[in-house]
Amino acid sequence: MERVLSKIAEVTSDPYAYVAGLKERKNKKIIGCFPMHVPEEVVHAADLIPVVIWRGNEPVTWGHAHVPPYDCGITRSFVDDAVRGKLGFMDGFVFHIRQCLQAGEFPFIMERHFKPAYQKVLYLPAIYPGDPTRDFALKELESFKTSLEDFTGKMISDDSLKKSIEIYNKNRGLMERVYEIRRAKPEILKAKEVMQIVWSGMLMPKEDHNELLTELIKRMEEKSVKAQRERIKVILVGCLCQTLQFDILDLIEDLGMIVPDDDLYIGSRYFANPVNLNGNPLKALVDRYLTKSPLCPTKGVWDIHWGDEAIKKMRDNDAKGIISVRVKYCPPHTCYYPDFRSKMVEEGVPEVMIEMEHEIISLEGVKTRLQSFAETIGGV
Amino acid sequence: MDVKYKINRLQTTNEIRPLVDKHWADLRTAKERGELVAWASGPSFIFAYAMGMKCHFMAGYAAYCGGIGAGEEVLKVAEMAGDLPETCSYHRLHMGMGEAVARGIPINPQAILPMPDLMVAGRLCPEMSHYAEGLHRRFGVRVLPIDLPGPYSMEDLPRIREFVYRQFKEVVIPTFEEVCGKPFDYDRMSEILRVLKEVAILRNKCWEFFKDKPSRWTLWDYGVSIAPVFYLMGNPAGVTYYEKLLRELQERREKGIPAIAPDGEKYRLYWDGWLPWAFLGKFMRKFIPNGAVVLCGRYPWEFFPHPELIDPEHPVESWADLYYGMESHLTYSFSPKGTINLIGELIKDYSLDGLIMFSSKTCRVMNLAQPEVMDVLDKKYGIPGVIVEGDMIDSAMISDAQIETRLQAIFEMIDSRRR
Repeated sequence: MERVLSKIAEVTSDPYAYVAGLKERKNKKIIGCFPMHVPEEVVHAADLIPVVIWRGNEPVTWGHAHVPPYDCGITRSFVDDAVRGKLGFMDGFVFHIRQCLQAGEFPFIMERHFKPAYQKVLYLPAIYPGDPTRDFALKELESFKTSLEDFTGKMISDDSLKKSIEIYNKNRGLMERVYEIRRAKPEILKAKEVMQIVWSGMLMPKEDHNELLTELIKRMEEKSVKAQRERIKVILVGCLCQTLQFDILDLIEDLGMIVPDDDLYIGSRYFANPVNLNGNPLKALVDRYLTKSPLCPTKGVWDIHWGDEAIKKMRDNDAKGIISVRVKYCPPHTCYYPDFRSKMVEEGVPEVMIEMEHEIISLEGVKTRLQSFAETIGGV
Repeated sequence: MDVKYKINRLQTTNEIRPLVDKHWADLRTAKERGELVAWASGPSFIFAYAMGMKCHFMAGYAAYCGGIGAGEEVLKVAEMAGDLPETCSYHRLHMGMGEAVARGIPINPQAILPMPDLMVAGRLCPEMSHYAEGLHRRFGVRVLPIDLPGPYSMEDLPRIREFVYRQFKEVVIPTFEEVCGKPFDYDRMSEILRVLKEVAILRNKCWEFFKDKPSRWTLWDYGVSIAPVFYLMGNPAGVTYYEKLLRELQERREKGIPAIAPDGEKYRLYWDGWLPWAFLGKFMRKFIPNGAVVLCGRYPWEFFPHPELIDPEHPVESWADLYYGMESHLTYSFSPKGTINLIGELIKDYSLDGLIMFSSKTCRVMNLAQPEVMDVLDKKYGIPGVIVEGDMIDSAMISDAQIETRLQAIFEMIDSRRR
């Protein structure tokens, strides 16, 4: 188990070196897919390597000349990486610019300063009633597929797309199994390690990740851990698009809490909902995108409540409270949060919100909030 | 010796306030008369008007609140209800008003609106959806959502146009028919467009006076005159207003009266982004002593700059074409490429000296790639620009010192290039 976790940590500790090396090893082009809704399977079926774009590991410097300081961490960090030339190993990008206004910053900046060999702008629709939504989503994916065919000069057959979907579905199933074991034995992995496992899957070819997960699951199943009943179970919610700082995850555990499950993008949201393989594969990808749960505030869903989903997850895991992680300057989450909070109050669910910025100035404020939350729900 | 600049106020613009007041007062009292009420974001209120509903318009309401000085108190109610300060201030304003109504919190009575029978959420920007979602979750408002993607490239227009048109035909119109209990009134929509076309043609004639050197009026004068070409569309009073405005501008030209005394402007400026509705006076007081006049801008130019393309005979098709057609494509000016094209034209047509890129801290829809746009235009036309940060209505986001420093910088850049 340690060997697998160490391999995973190696990938995520320096994603730049890893992806650059991957390109050389596989001799394939790398396509950066901006989180959270780009169907990577289509890129995979074009015999390219899709990689989910990540929030960088350095403070923003040159990027300040291109995007305002009131854009979120991943927006500023990604632009910073691009204009500083740190992403030279990427051959192209896919941006779904309708999930959030800030994603609209990227295509023009990339065209001007990066000049990618391939760039695709997607306009996946909000999940609104009526046939036009589904039809338009399908046209978007058809246009996406065509753009990749034009780029590679090779057609993407339904069969190859189905094969890619199969590989991705397998990954989703394996990730689900990791989470299942974690739910039963939450002490088996640290929250940081779980995030690294999910994140590494966004960087690695899914075939390679599947191999690692298979081995990891075997070890996890074999390993017995001592239950730490004094620890208080909490569910993490939010943190759309980007990794949560590992320091914060460690802090949560240092304060006597433990995370048996989550509702994070770099967490359970990423691998939720396998694609139905019957029939037209593009239509199946549309169906997955148009699935309302887990609720994503970027998709225009309001007939189910994010708070209800989080509370269910908390109760299913016998957890005592919810920690909302809100990325500073994330409009979809920020607009939703007051209603999420109201739901927690209505249902009597202990909940605390911590705000996360790309550049952590001090962890003390976060620590104070989390410490008082832990005490409130019966911890240290 | 320093020139003492002073604004020459237009008389006609005094007549806009009663028109706007009446619009909002009619809306406030609509339910008392048994009329149906809609709220709208994006260009969707025309469908409500066509059905005889009284309808609000998101940005128009925000501008009105800002104009009557009610913004601050309504924003405070939103904050009290849990809305976070970095949320779009238009969003917070609506949440605050809804909370004030629901909880009976006293606010300026002119800022209060009846809760709608239907909320038409045109999702030009995702936040226009978020606020409709919030209104539904908090107050049970029925929402009719429409996705209105802004195109990044011209080549994307045809498929987006088809998507939007189909939503109008297959979702929007049937929903209005259901809510109002009658067939959709295409004739009324045509009539609204006919009046709009007439008003916009007159407005374009007024725009010609921005080209005069010195200019005969300022963008702020036009800013307060926008309602007749948007949320007051279909109201014949708009024709009367713009006819009168045109006469006054013609008279100014004949008499040689500039927008600012004694002899007109020293700096001719472009304004990017939203107009700062609650701070128009504040900015004016910073421009005028420096001899600066703002003449045109992207937002005020999005209201049908090509009225000849309005086709009242085919109202629904025309409405889709105005925003997404290959000729009109109003939504394209939200994209950086469209912005560059538009500003490039304005620089040439209006002999501009500099660009002020107003960057809203809470609404990013017009901020996209502003530094890039500024850089491209500087390189292409040699016109300098500065970014001024602020907000449309939230004074917590406005810093006098920052604004003054940036304005000083643009004036100095223009001066140095002139030398």
